[in-house]
Amino acid sequence: MKGKLLITILLALALGIAACGPKPTPAATPASEAETPAAAATTAPPAPPSETVTLTVIMEQVPDYDIVAQLTPQFEAKNPNIKIKFDAMPYDAMRDKILTSFLAPQATYDIIIVDNPWMDEFAKAGFLTPLDEYIAATPGYDFNDFVGPVREIGVVDGKVYGVPYYNYALGMIVRQDLFDNPDYQAKYQAKYGKPLTVPTTLEDYVQVGQFFKEQGIYGAAMQPQRGYKVFEEWKNWLYAAGGDLMDAQGNVIIDNEAAQKALELYIEMYKTAAPPDSLNWGFDESLRSMAAGESATMISYNWMLPTLNKPGGPAGDLAGKFALYEVPGGKAVLGTWHWAIPHNTPNKDAAWMFVSWLTSKMVDKQRVIMGGAPTRVSVMTDTEVWEKGFGKGYYETVLKILEDAEPLARGPHAEEIINEVGTYLNSAVAGEMSVAQALKAAAEKTREISARP
Amino acid sequence: MQPLLHLKYRLLAPLVLVLGAVIGYPLAFSLWVSLHNYTLTAIGQAKLVGAANYLGLLANPSYWRAIGNTVTFVLVAVGLELILGFGLALLLHHRATPLRHLFRSLLLTPMFITPIAVGLMFRFLLNSQLGIIPQALKALGIHVDWFGSRLALFSLALIDVWQWTPFMLLLLLAGLEALPTEPFEAARVDGASGWNMVRYVTLPLMRPVILAAVVIRMLDAFKVYEYVYAITRGGPGESTETIQYHIYRVGFLYFRMGEAAAMAYTLIIVVLILVILLFYVLRRSAT
Repeated sequence: MKGKLLITILLALALGIAACGPKPTPAATPASEAETPAAAATTAPPAPPSETVTLTVIMEQVPDYDIVAQLTPQFEAKNPNIKIKFDAMPYDAMRDKILTSFLAPQATYDIIIVDNPWMDEFAKAGFLTPLDEYIAATPGYDFNDFVGPVREIGVVDGKVYGVPYYNYALGMIVRQDLFDNPDYQAKYQAKYGKPLTVPTTLEDYVQVGQFFKEQGIYGAAMQPQRGYKVFEEWKNWLYAAGGDLMDAQGNVIIDNEAAQKALELYIEMYKTAAPPDSLNWGFDESLRSMAAGESATMISYNWMLPTLNKPGGPAGDLAGKFALYEVPGGKAVLGTWHWAIPHNTPNKDAAWMFVSWLTSKMVDKQRVIMGGAPTRVSVMTDTEVWEKGFGKGYYETVLKILEDAEPLARGPHAEEIINEVGTYLNSAVAGEMSVAQALKAAAEKTREISARP
Repeated sequence: MQPLLHLKYRLLAPLVLVLGAVIGYPLAFSLWVSLHNYTLTAIGQAKLVGAANYLGLLANPSYWRAIGNTVTFVLVAVGLELILGFGLALLLHHRATPLRHLFRSLLLTPMFITPIAVGLMFRFLLNSQLGIIPQALKALGIHVDWFGSRLALFSLALIDVWQWTPFMLLLLLAGLEALPTEPFEAARVDGASGWNMVRYVTLPLMRPVILAAVVIRMLDAFKVYEYVYAITRGGPGESTETIQYHIYRVGFLYFRMGEAAAMAYTLIIVVLILVILLFYVLRRSAT
């Protein structure tokens, strides 16, 4: 009897494990319904609300959010009937919160920020409001002023669903003082018969990395962490080797010769020049390694440069010794956040008033001067921004990076493709799979995922 | 006039209704979801696919790897917890152990910390750049890559051991303190040594408590998610991808709820098989 009772209890416990899985959710609005033009299908800009409206905005808790929060009182002063309430949280908590808001009868969030792998997925599911007519009705907005590749991420099937918030394109950050060191220059010249310069090809990058390792400094603080991170770093290597995830016709080519070469060199760099035990490293560990003076280079977000060069910042006495370059090969991985308006918010007009104000040329300039990552060409070429921000050289390099950059993956399954490819890449770096096995598996998985409706 | 239902059923009714609402409905719904191609980004287009989600798992290497990792994790973690917990319980039960009440309180503290905090704590303690443990080992000339592909799963199991051995200790100590004294006195009179007392008297008497403790811990360990989420995210490769984390990835990152629900149901079967097997082995050894 006792045994039966115990088994019954255990059954209930075991079933409880499954019960914490999927939960019922209300039906979503069919895509066709949500794709109807926005409420403000007029040529006049939306009028301010006659009664007080509070807009809830989901944000990632990062320095760019702090800047937006500091700017917002200016908007509220100009628009006394619109109040802005931010809900800032870590990245990991955002995706499911946003989805839950989409599926609710009325949105929890009136304004959301969308990471680039989510854009096609959310837009094609009918979760986002098309913004074309709002953009057309907003005088002086100049949508084409956003850098092309950044702007294009918000465009799905010819309609605009998001306007750029900030970029996180990748660049190469180096310790310039090490490259300028006459002693190292002489040694490098003697060993390789050429001057020590910031590498522009993968072969040179590996060579320079190994050279610094011999001098007692790790050549590259890499980010081979499983999933997004390793793919984000390695895809720069893939571009440099002439490869890509898919060709122009949409065929998966991540297992071709170029990819093989890129992954072999990446692993060689990890094994011969990167800090040991860094298989799980993401961008924060790499940043720490650079700031501690442990490593000579890293491929990371372009706006890490001001962080490293900030007097009294994490790099201490090394502040000012770091410089930003384009990644080897020139073409970089592009990451962006976009502002978007959910299909189920009743406050679309007010939401656009805030988003268009914040991303207008004038306010965007203020945001960038305050340290925000730029997205507009006019802002990056503005002399006042150069003077009050991080200098002409930095913005010119960022503009060059952004002009020749592409996101990791596009399409409604980008999130899954990125994570799955990143798992196989990490397996190859860990030695669990050979380069050929990992790339073949990554290609097969990408084909399988892409074939889904 | 006779009431419609007997009193015992009327008394049971509120509990049955509550359980039906909070367990029965989600379970039935997740079973329904597992039989459909239910995706959160296209709920309106969910179609009945029958057993396709279940059959798809057969050819899904990531799923099998996650099951294998979870079983390994459970066996290593619960096995070590049982050995350590039993040893500590014997020590704390022994009257000659100095400061045993103080140790009892101290040893119980890890299980009162929320697992996600334990995960974050060990992420930093074992971090190769900042961690005090790698630094201390380095001073002794020992180098361990705690989260490399060979050791990562074992490291996570050790963290579980750190947190949950106190639970095992608590149950086993309660069991030891509830044992009758006569068999021990008889064994002592017969001249049994310390080890023989444990082997032939304590262990047989403790079997029901050990069984309960192991089963409860195993069921709990099967739910391992927080350490994976906080520390390794399933990596390197898939070497620490446990089934709960895999279900989370498929369901909440990729929004493919049908497949995730099918995995959750297969997990129930695996758990039940293990529980039945454990009962069978222990009952057979008892006879």
